Amino acid sequence: MLDYIRLEVRRTLRDKGFVIFGIGMPVLMYVLMTNIGTGAGGAGMEWKIASMVGMAAYGALGAAIGTGTGVAEDKQLGWLRQLRITPLSPIRVVVARGLTGTVTVLPAIASVLLVGALVNGVRMPGWQWAALAVLLWVGTAPFTLLGLGNGYRLSSQSTGVVNTGCMLLISIIGGLWFPAELFPGWLRSLSAWTPGNRFAELGQSVTQGGAPGLGAVAVLAAWLALFGGYAVYAYRRAARTV
Amino acid sequence: MSITTGIATGGTPDRAEAMGAVTPARAAGGAAAVGFSGVTRSYGAVRVVHGLDLEIAAGETVALLGRNGAGKSTTINMLLGLLPPSSGTVRLFGGEPEAAVRAGKVGAMLQDGQPIPRVTVRELITFVAATYPRPMDADEALELAGLGEFAGRRVDRLSGGQAQRVRFAVALAGNPELLVLDEPTAALDVEARRAFWRSMRAYARRGNTILFSTHYLEEADDHADRIVVIDGGRVVADGSGEAIKRRAGGSLVSFDLAGAPTEPLPGLPGVSSVEIRGDRALLRTADSDATVLALAGLGLVRRLEVAPAGLEDAFLALTASSTKEIA
Repeated sequence: MLDYIRLEVRRTLRDKGFVIFGIGMPVLMYVLMTNIGTGAGGAGMEWKIASMVGMAAYGALGAAIGTGTGVAEDKQLGWLRQLRITPLSPIRVVVARGLTGTVTVLPAIASVLLVGALVNGVRMPGWQWAALAVLLWVGTAPFTLLGLGNGYRLSSQSTGVVNTGCMLLISIIGGLWFPAELFPGWLRSLSAWTPGNRFAELGQSVTQGGAPGLGAVAVLAAWLALFGGYAVYAYRRAARTV
Repeated sequence: MSITTGIATGGTPDRAEAMGAVTPARAAGGAAAVGFSGVTRSYGAVRVVHGLDLEIAAGETVALLGRNGAGKSTTINMLLGLLPPSSGTVRLFGGEPEAAVRAGKVGAMLQDGQPIPRVTVRELITFVAATYPRPMDADEALELAGLGEFAGRRVDRLSGGQAQRVRFAVALAGNPELLVLDEPTAALDVEARRAFWRSMRAYARRGNTILFSTHYLEEADDHADRIVVIDGGRVVADGSGEAIKRRAGGSLVSFDLAGAPTEPLPGLPGVSSVEIRGDRALLRTADSDATVLALAGLGLVRRLEVAPAGLEDAFLALTASSTKEIA
């Protein structure tokens, strides 16, 4: 199974689309949003930190959901079928794909945090950096499951589109691009129930020196269960035809 | 591991006859490599496989021959455990197909399987090999599949024929006892095809069981010990290429009529059909010796020719009347 994870990570990192859009985009957007149109003095440190968390979260959730796009491609190529006639059990194949997602989210998180520290001069104690990275990493689990569910459920073409749509919707409504505080009241209340918002909150709370609130953890856990159920359902359905 | 003896341990006379030519190694005793009994498969209301019975002994090389839509791929998918039969049982090495697959006894080249992008040939084969308990060395698999020089190349940058060889290497990598190849030469040119069959035979000589499907009749005749013809989801013939040709009306005898009456011809010994083309008569016969002797008796020997019926003819004769059980 480790071999399979290694193979998949390698394939993902060789994907130019992944490198450009999965890592380059969030970094670029972070740099632009904190350095353009912010007046002579540049953006305030508060925004530089908040946007850093938002963009790292955006990149991470894009990579997590993208795991499923790869699954859909492999399904279409007949590779998932081919794997079924190797001794590798189907359940290990799915688990390995999920774990692959946990590895491929790391470059986006690391790149944005690095740019935050080196380019935007964000300074935090070491434990905060570490806790931020770990929470952003762990928090991608629901999105990986959502992506996998789409990947097993849908065709290769629709998975690409649907996954990109999910990513943008979750990111924007979750306030990863623009802070949710700028939203009208109704959207702000809605945003608090979305996984993207609570995912970023995990990170924001650390940068403010605190632990994530119970509300954030509870909402994310609910989404984790929902997307997990969806992934299992989609996989079971696909297993009959893959 | 099975003990290979090179001695036929059973089977019909036809099969035993076929053994001589290709020297398959056969397992002494033990469960059959493949066993279908009373297998049917329907997609909705459409029944694709009707009561299929088939047994393949360990060490045999068997061709599954049929037209498009004859049920070959459905049969292979059931054999590999990818598709459950609607009724009947499929056994591999005496157990469930899934169990044989998990135990690493099976390698397969699927018809619609494309190699995945963004890995090199060697990475892919090494990965597949590592999932099996007793794999082949990756280099050996690459060599056997004729991919030695492409080992470092990315799979997505190969030609169609090269990609097909990658699929063959994927099937071989685990050193499986049973190798299943669904239309393995579809995208290959003549040269590559020859090399492919050489490799397949080399792998069969190690005592492995091979089942390949094809609609190339000559391939089945040239490379299998035994041909199983399926049509309309049934086995319509099962035996050596020779036996199948004979069953379908072995030889064609032709001669100039020179005005002689044609009425007695259908009644001659061995003759199954008569065709008149201009002044020439073409007789399909199961016993050309008897037919020729009878013709000689009638003095009908002008420009007499006896030719074996092609496998092509045999195949058409078999599948044209699939309701008639020949096997």
